[in-house]
Amino acid sequence: MALDIVLAPMALEPKTFNVGEKVRVTVSFKYVVGVNTTVKLLAGPYSTNLFGKHLVSSCVGQAEIQLPASSTLADGAGTVDFILIAKPLGGIDNGTYGLRVWIEDTNAVAEQDNVLIISGNTSGGDMFTSMMPMLMMVMMMGMIMPMTQQMGEGVEEE
Amino acid sequence: MSLKTLELGLKAIRVLQDGTDPPEEALLVPGWYIDPQTGQRIFYDPDSQKFYTLAGGVYIPLGYMNPAPKQVAVAPGDRLKVTISFKYTGPAITGVTGYYCLGVNGIFGFDEKLVQRTTFNLPQVTTPPSVPNVSDSYTFTIPTGIGTNWDDIYVKIFGGSPSIAGEATTPYLFGYENALTIAGIEPNITEFKIADFAKV
Repeated sequence: MALDIVLAPMALEPKTFNVGEKVRVTVSFKYVVGVNTTVKLLAGPYSTNLFGKHLVSSCVGQAEIQLPASSTLADGAGTVDFILIAKPLGGIDNGTYGLRVWIEDTNAVAEQDNVLIISGNTSGGDMFTSMMPMLMMVMMMGMIMPMTQQMGEGVEEE
Repeated sequence: MSLKTLELGLKAIRVLQDGTDPPEEALLVPGWYIDPQTGQRIFYDPDSQKFYTLAGGVYIPLGYMNPAPKQVAVAPGDRLKVTISFKYTGPAITGVTGYYCLGVNGIFGFDEKLVQRTTFNLPQVTTPPSVPNVSDSYTFTIPTGIGTNWDDIYVKIFGGSPSIAGEATTPYLFGYENALTIAGIEPNITEFKIADFAKV
């Protein structure tokens, strides 16, 4: 009897980051290319909902990788950094995000869901946003009430 | 850059005027066979002298393209030598054309990207040979602008005096799919994965 054991690639463990921090992603791959080439490596967080995956474009970082010419499969590696820009600055909100890395103009894409746990956005901005509908309603009531009072007074005069 | 070699086997051929079938095909009776190379079930029709595969209730003639037994890695500037060999029985023929092609094989046919021709002669052979007795070859120089999907290859022979077949109708063609690993201008990347990510 033979026992076959296959070791599957280890999944990435989720990690917690604060907004404003820089994340460094390391990738590995194999390649062939006929001439010395420079490719662009990009990485960034993405969110997932019912409509699919949505890249947080404001947080995408990029770096260049040199690929020496090789007609046989060669090992390649690269690193790319991206900054978690805070939500008030048009960046990423608190929550859990996936990590996507890709090489521009190629089919090289790697991603994993729910590995970036983002925190550190202050709640002040969120409170104001959540209170906006209530404030709008109060303002509308404030405008409508004086108008109805004026109309009521007119009827009484008749 | 080094010289890489790819060999193709055209199996047995005959001249049109000969009238005799190759010994291998003469033994075949109609029915189902199993391709010893691929394990695929194929049907042989002696009337059309063709093999067919059955897909969706339709008999489809077996294509001339075959899975490549090996892959050859080439890059711009490399020289790729393609060699054909086959068994030949018949009269001496001069001026046979060898048609060598690299390109992309798809559902609409073979998109020929690099084409070269050779001319060679066939000797008079009266006894069917047990091993391939004719060979020919052409050496391509891989151009700088080669596409990374130009990985298919086929060869056909035709013409000569007397003619063995017409250029468009020759049955003597054979090809391999995914025979080449192209190192072109555009990088071909595989096994791309995230090794690690961390705060810096």
